[in-house]
Amino acid sequence: MPGIELKNVTKAFGAATVIDNVSLSIRPHEFMVFLGPSGCGKSTLLRMIAGLESVDAGEIWIGDRRVDQLAPGERRVAMVFQHYALYPHMTVRENMSFGLRNVRLAEVEIVKRVASAARMLEIDHLLERKPGQISGGQRQRVAIGRAIVKEPQLFLFDEPLSNLDAALRVRTRLEIAQLHQRIEAAIVFVTHDQVEAMTLAHRIVVMNNRRIEQIGTPMEIYSRPATTFVAGFVGTPAMNFISASLVESGNGFASVCLPDGALVETHIDKASLPASQSFKLGIRAECVDICEIGQGNTAGTAHFVERLGDRTLIYVRLADGATVVAEDAGDSRVQLNDQVGIKFNGAAGHLFDDQERGHHAAQDARG
Amino acid sequence: MAAQVASGAVGRGLGDRLILSATIGLAIVMLIPMLWAVGLSIKSNAELLVDTNSVLHAPWTLKNYADIIVGSQVFRWLLNSIIVSTGMSLGVLILSSLAGYGFARLEFPGRNIIFVLVLFGLAIPEQAVIIVRHQLFSALDLHNTYPGLMLPGMSAPFGVFLMTQYFRAIPVEIDEAALLDNASRFQIFWRVLLPMTLPAQATLGIYTFLHSWNDYWWPLVSGTNERMYTMTVGIAATQINFAESAGLGYLMAQAVFGSLPVLIVYMFFQKYIVRAVSGAAA
Amino acid sequence: MVTSVQATVATGSSRESRAKNVRGGVRGRWSNMLYVAPYLSLYVTLLIYPLFAGFWLSLHKADFFGGSRFVGLQNFVRLFHDKVFLGAVGNTFYFILLTVPALALIGLALALALNRTTRSAAVLRGVFFSSSVLSVTIVTLLWRVVFAPDNGFIANLLHHFDKPSIPFLSDENLALPAIGITTIWWCLGLPMMLFLAALQQVPRELYEAAALDNAGRWKTFWHVTRPSIRRTFALVVIIEVVLQFQLFGQAQLMTLGGPNNASRPMVLFIYEVGFNRWDVGYAVAAGQILFGLILIAALAQYLVARRKEAF
Repeated sequence: MPGIELKNVTKAFGAATVIDNVSLSIRPHEFMVFLGPSGCGKSTLLRMIAGLESVDAGEIWIGDRRVDQLAPGERRVAMVFQHYALYPHMTVRENMSFGLRNVRLAEVEIVKRVASAARMLEIDHLLERKPGQISGGQRQRVAIGRAIVKEPQLFLFDEPLSNLDAALRVRTRLEIAQLHQRIEAAIVFVTHDQVEAMTLAHRIVVMNNRRIEQIGTPMEIYSRPATTFVAGFVGTPAMNFISASLVESGNGFASVCLPDGALVETHIDKASLPASQSFKLGIRAECVDICEIGQGNTAGTAHFVERLGDRTLIYVRLADGATVVAEDAGDSRVQLNDQVGIKFNGAAGHLFDDQERGHHAAQDARG
Repeated sequence: MAAQVASGAVGRGLGDRLILSATIGLAIVMLIPMLWAVGLSIKSNAELLVDTNSVLHAPWTLKNYADIIVGSQVFRWLLNSIIVSTGMSLGVLILSSLAGYGFARLEFPGRNIIFVLVLFGLAIPEQAVIIVRHQLFSALDLHNTYPGLMLPGMSAPFGVFLMTQYFRAIPVEIDEAALLDNASRFQIFWRVLLPMTLPAQATLGIYTFLHSWNDYWWPLVSGTNERMYTMTVGIAATQINFAESAGLGYLMAQAVFGSLPVLIVYMFFQKYIVRAVSGAAA
Repeated sequence: MVTSVQATVATGSSRESRAKNVRGGVRGRWSNMLYVAPYLSLYVTLLIYPLFAGFWLSLHKADFFGGSRFVGLQNFVRLFHDKVFLGAVGNTFYFILLTVPALALIGLALALALNRTTRSAAVLRGVFFSSSVLSVTIVTLLWRVVFAPDNGFIANLLHHFDKPSIPFLSDENLALPAIGITTIWWCLGLPMMLFLAALQQVPRELYEAAALDNAGRWKTFWHVTRPSIRRTFALVVIIEVVLQFQLFGQAQLMTLGGPNNASRPMVLFIYEVGFNRWDVGYAVAAGQILFGLILIAALAQYLVARRKEAF
């Protein structure tokens, strides 16, 4: 099974550029996720790969075939739509056979493929029903089945989980991961949900405003975010961003001073930082601890406490009015309006310059 | 239904009953012409000649209907109406579906302009074009033919408008899934989208059938040969010779006979007909 | 794994290019016209061509031997001086005034009364709509035996009370109103159904709020129902005006336009001039005027309705 290559792909609607000079490669059998907020262009990019949107400039290659000028049906890709797009007047079996009939596949082969896919997805008892007679989750399986029987070189999923309720979403996520292990093709999966992206992807393409912000594995995206957008988009709760200014430090690492006077020592190489006027310190809640007042970097008032069971999120207002989210144990004793001390794990801190680029410590150092 | 008054609302009982009684009274008045006609049709012509009040008492007879079955042209008219209306409905359905798909889903030069021009046609009344149409059909020797009776009705833009709207309402995702399924544009039309438009087809088909069945002016001037009379024209023709006709009872029996097909269809398909007619207007 | 951000902000390298059809260019697009071609050919030959040929024809006068000569606007001038035509125009407007308000108001009243889910309401609705499915020739036949002065239904009723019969269809002043009554009977179904559909769109909560506010039947109608169906009312009026402008069959069959041209509407005039006298250019010119009047009336009402909504 081949890999996918996008080279300088551009799309414009009139004067508005919708996809701007995008290049990326997808390895064989890779699970690639396009992640981003609504309107960032991820669905458009997916549809351009499928052939449902035209490519104004650039090339799309699937394996050794250039496909951007081919009709959708000729690209050997299959797509699972957000609202499934099942043919309402056909039975499940007919829905799954329709594409194969159009390419004149032998009837015997069609029956075989449909039966095998139906068995894999556990929908064989639904084959004679119409889409209107089955549940939402079952419809989604049919949509997946319709894609599987084509034995495509590439699977495309367009936000397939957004129509499911929470419990079903988790279960289906698992099934899609298992599906990927059973097939040979690569998968491109579009979503706005970073949890889905983090749990399913080999690599994630984070997009914002029609541009790619970062391409990397989930852990790379999480621990070395390239921009403030990526840092704030992935991870719950969102990363803390605090204004910071560089101060003198003895070692080669950057140290910063926060508006309320707190001092934080990072492990970021000072020499690698650009000459920027202002920085932001980025640090995740799990790297911000609650401690006794006077024992940490700074202190503040807990003006909101969220108890999640396995951990407690404490929103602390600092002296200058900024809010920092700290993570404490599940049985934390902190109460609303308590005065608490804050301890930053500087080794896990990031610095974002005034171009919003992220700078990180040399190796992943926590604790 | 969103806002149908619950009949259990407190304090409305007397007013409601009055309104209902008034409405029932009006309904009876509405039915009078039809009941009167039926009454006349089941009396012998001789009796009616003397006094039409004889409707109200016996004897009643079905002789008029028997005479119809034996000798009337009604069956000829019925056949013509069925052929013309069915043909026109089929033609409209086929043409409108094809054009609706074309306007809704396909790209071709000038598509939007052409569609707007077709919409303008909705404003053109029959009277503005009927005379030239008549001349045209004379030149083409299409009068007193079935196609001649069917074709004008098939040029109306309403069907195209309806089907285009209906196709537009189908999510494009379905087309896209079919494209990925390697379906040609025609296959998408024939095997995927068209079957999904069945409700619109029913509405359009019934509306066109009814409209064609009751059409008067065009069959009057184009189907002038007695053999080609549709039901409406036939009934009109017998009316002209009102006084010297074969008798009032016979005449009314013909009218009742002529209304039966439509009324029967109405009884069974009332829901569809109402939807068709009111949907058409709005 | 080191990754790099590949995309850059293209500073002017993005060019505007027309979206190409995936199937490869212009050829595919022209063949798509095959779908609309069958209908379009009928549309052009039977609607567009006759319309424009009509314009041309109305500038000619057919002479006795089958030819025709160009006379410019003479037909129109003749029409403006033709007493029969002017009478027909007047009759048409008078007829519209007779029927359209009644159709709209009675239709609304029936819709209000029958907007229930009970079985009897359904049956009654069926009764009131049933007359609309009949053809004009049957309707006129039914009403002629109702109006007939000697032995019609109304005559019998009057005789029963020792009153003289009324010559509906042969009295100059009564002919058009009689046709009006026939027409109202015939056309009531459509306004009623349109109003019913509109009433069912009114959110139930509005009525419930009014009930809690102790609004009586009339107040509820005036403050809740009426504003919600205002647009439908305008629509019904426009539809009925356009419809009744085209009055033909009833006048032709019931009164032949008489007595003394008292009940001749414009369309009957066109029919007689065009198909009995074969003065084709003249008839088409009258048809143009009718078309123009309908357009103006519909447009005027549309604009008025739009203005009122602006409040």
